[in-house]
Amino acid sequence: MARLGNRIRGISRLSPTATAGVIIILLFGVLALFSDMFMPHDPVSSFTDRILQPPSAQHWFGTDGNGMDVFSRVIYGAKFGFGIAIPAVIIAVLIGVPVGLIAGYRGGLLDEVLMRIFDGLRVFPSIILALAVVAATGQSLLNVVLVLGFLDSPVFARLVRSEVLALRSSIFVESAIAAGNPTWRILFLHLLPNSIQGAMAQTAVRAAWAVRISATLAFLGVGIQAPTPEWGAMIRQGAEFMVSGQWWVAIFPGIALILLVFGLNLFGDGIQDILDPRRRVSK
Amino acid sequence: MSELVLSTKNLSKRFPVGRSGSFVNAVNGVDLSIKRGEVLGMVGESGSGKSTIGRTILRLTDPSDGEITFDGQDITTLPTKLIRPMRKDMQMVFQDPWSALNPRMKIGDLIAEPLRIHFNMSRSECNDRTEVLAERVRLSADFLNRTPSALSGGQLQRVCIARAIATNPKLIVLDEPTSSLDLSVRAGILELLQELRAETQAAFLFISHDLGTIKLISDRIAVLYLGRVVEEVPKDKLFSDPSHPYTQSLLSAHLPSDPNETLQRLTLQGEIPSPINLPTGCSFHTRCPVAINSCQSNVPEADEISPGHLVSCLRLKDGQNIIRRDLK
Amino acid sequence: MNLLSVQDLQTHFIFRDIDHQLREAKALNKVNLTLNSGQVLGIVGETGAGKSLTAQSICGLLRPPAKIVGGSVTFQGRELLTLPEDEINTIRGAEIAMVVQNPRSSLDPLTQIGAQLVRLHQTHTGGPLAGSRKKALDMMQAVGIPDPEGRFTAWPHELSGGMAQRVLIAMALINEPKLLIADEPTTGLDVTVQAQILDLLNELVARFDMGCMIITHDLGIVAHYCDQVAVMFAGEIVEQGPTREVFLTPAHPYTQQLLAATPERLQLGVKSQLGGQPPDLFNLPTGCLSQDRCTLATEKCGAPPPLIEISKGHLARCHFVKPAEKGRSKSNE
Repeated sequence: MARLGNRIRGISRLSPTATAGVIIILLFGVLALFSDMFMPHDPVSSFTDRILQPPSAQHWFGTDGNGMDVFSRVIYGAKFGFGIAIPAVIIAVLIGVPVGLIAGYRGGLLDEVLMRIFDGLRVFPSIILALAVVAATGQSLLNVVLVLGFLDSPVFARLVRSEVLALRSSIFVESAIAAGNPTWRILFLHLLPNSIQGAMAQTAVRAAWAVRISATLAFLGVGIQAPTPEWGAMIRQGAEFMVSGQWWVAIFPGIALILLVFGLNLFGDGIQDILDPRRRVSK
Repeated sequence: MSELVLSTKNLSKRFPVGRSGSFVNAVNGVDLSIKRGEVLGMVGESGSGKSTIGRTILRLTDPSDGEITFDGQDITTLPTKLIRPMRKDMQMVFQDPWSALNPRMKIGDLIAEPLRIHFNMSRSECNDRTEVLAERVRLSADFLNRTPSALSGGQLQRVCIARAIATNPKLIVLDEPTSSLDLSVRAGILELLQELRAETQAAFLFISHDLGTIKLISDRIAVLYLGRVVEEVPKDKLFSDPSHPYTQSLLSAHLPSDPNETLQRLTLQGEIPSPINLPTGCSFHTRCPVAINSCQSNVPEADEISPGHLVSCLRLKDGQNIIRRDLK
Repeated sequence: MNLLSVQDLQTHFIFRDIDHQLREAKALNKVNLTLNSGQVLGIVGETGAGKSLTAQSICGLLRPPAKIVGGSVTFQGRELLTLPEDEINTIRGAEIAMVVQNPRSSLDPLTQIGAQLVRLHQTHTGGPLAGSRKKALDMMQAVGIPDPEGRFTAWPHELSGGMAQRVLIAMALINEPKLLIADEPTTGLDVTVQAQILDLLNELVARFDMGCMIITHDLGIVAHYCDQVAVMFAGEIVEQGPTREVFLTPAHPYTQQLLAATPERLQLGVKSQLGGQPPDLFNLPTGCLSQDRCTLATEKCGAPPPLIEISKGHLARCHFVKPAEKGRSKSNE
């Protein structure tokens, strides 16, 4: 146990950034998993007698336009944060990594074509594309996740491809070829494990992106709708009330959103520090 | 089974340089042959093409010209799909053991890989064979579950050798296998190779820039300069009867560890020409102390001056070795 | 007074590992050596012996976590280890110069070689630019670069390995240092080029009356270019003396092992007890540092071995070496 404690101390010294990020993510993770323990009220039951009440002892973050407890809704919203970000990133990885592997190793025409397609995807404003696709295919959580995953895959493809480009002429790959490895083994047993670090480091950052975009979509009225306690939808609803002075409806979900995205970004940044020895905080 | 495992005829390899239209002429007409159980040493400096020859013979890169015959079969233009299964019979040991092994694979898996690919062995059969191989190369079985970062250079090279002999290949190409290793570690590896060649009767192509090492392990030695074999000599004649002027200068530059051995330096002028711009005729003529006019225009053929001793030099047609030696 | 005198130099690597534990690698363990003008000292050993570290410690080029924890380095009577950084900077490059391996990575890729030479000269010697330029050309001539005027504007990437090494030597010598340290100066170079570079070094050492330290793992280089040799293992010098004597009658078992492993002496098929692991610098044994791989080791080796003078100038650190009475001595069977 003491050894584990020491190991944690050791790693956290390598990157204070990653440590801070992990703490934030863990906080939200706990909230998402054990939301029942932390929610004083049911997030979707409305107290019709207490509409738009400012923060009080009973409702720490106040109540919204439907009389629902904002605090409970913010906590519940953490589920969506993770529930969207994680599957979206997984899909992005599942699409992007194999494409990056093959494009990087094969090169030539295949590489050019794939990369142009992916470049096109990246260049296109993702919000607009996501809006269009979700609007066309239907407002469901699943669609949002799929679209986000697809839109995010070029990042992973590029990262893996650049590592593969560097690695494909390295000696151990040549040794693998000399041993008689077929191409699929070279790609998945030799190249993949050695080219995936950069992509893995990016997952946290891309998760942050997914959280942000889904909140934006919800804010724009696409995807998740009220009264679902998703932060973006809550901000949308709360925006109307900002003008009339009821700031708490929008601000608290806003802070939660910023905090989670910030934590994910910190972690992603910190992972880079740990993986790249040159960036480490030295003794 | 044929005695001759490998032979090449006029083997050449050119690499294009960017888009400029010029080429690096790495290998320029090399004839080689290696028999079962024989060790052919290949020695040369940078630009000699020795590494490229090793790779071309194994079809890791395609030849630009000439023929490669492996175990009686012409493999010069065989498509990759058909070469792949042949790789169980021709293996390579690379110079730098740290970069030659996938840093994320376990040692046991690295050794077993050729077995997995070429034979349909069950997992337990594979494991057994891996243990036998590890023992054969005197590598402790404790290491089989570690990754390369846990082993020293000498141990890693033993892993590479185990990997190379796993499928009982007929030909093993070793590209500077001991050059990156410490002196005391080299000895162990060379001893291991000596045992293995006797045991397996495989043909070895041993590439090195170090004359001392080459002499120790080889039966015959081919001296390369700018992609051509200038001299091919049985091991005992290398130090006693080097005939080509380049071989002599190479030998004279070699520093023995015995301070009492006086050096007889044969200094060459200038540096090795670039393989992009090969000199005409005999490529050595620009630095050769005994070059004459016809050396600029004629590429010398290989003459057998005594059994097993071939030299490519126009001056030898004069019947005697007239190379002067500059005493230090 | 010796040109360079290193006494009991100790350099350790001190850091915290991933488990937050404090670790200390004892990389140099009381290194003692002296060098005089006109002498060429070869420092020989395998990987991890501490050869390059010795050079870096002398020149003040250590980076954390490496740290000098003891000893003294005197150069021309001055103690270097206690000098402030700006004073070391005036000595380094001017009076002590270093040539390293991999010449092309040591040259500034964005500056022409002539300009680099001039820059170096200006930094330490100063004077009018024209003077520096002339000196640069003279040095290029001295190191055997053909057509110095023409090559003055060459870029580093245009040079071959041998040429680049010559440029490095020119850069090292342009300020006429008293001490030249060459760390693996010919590793990676062709053997014919190596011979030229080493001949050049020898000639320049004589011409400028410098002290020269050549660090290498190649015993052949030491045998023919160094008057004195120091054999290193596990961060200490196990044997030193005139090259001829050490190589022909090595006293320390490690030296004998090393010499026996050279291709000329190696007999394949004769079962040898060569090799062994490099020393674990985190966990050095008490007493003789070579005991784990020495065939002669007994319990006696648990005590630090004395430095025995076998003959004038020939010293070895081993329990089993007898000091000379008359003639030469050999180690015990």
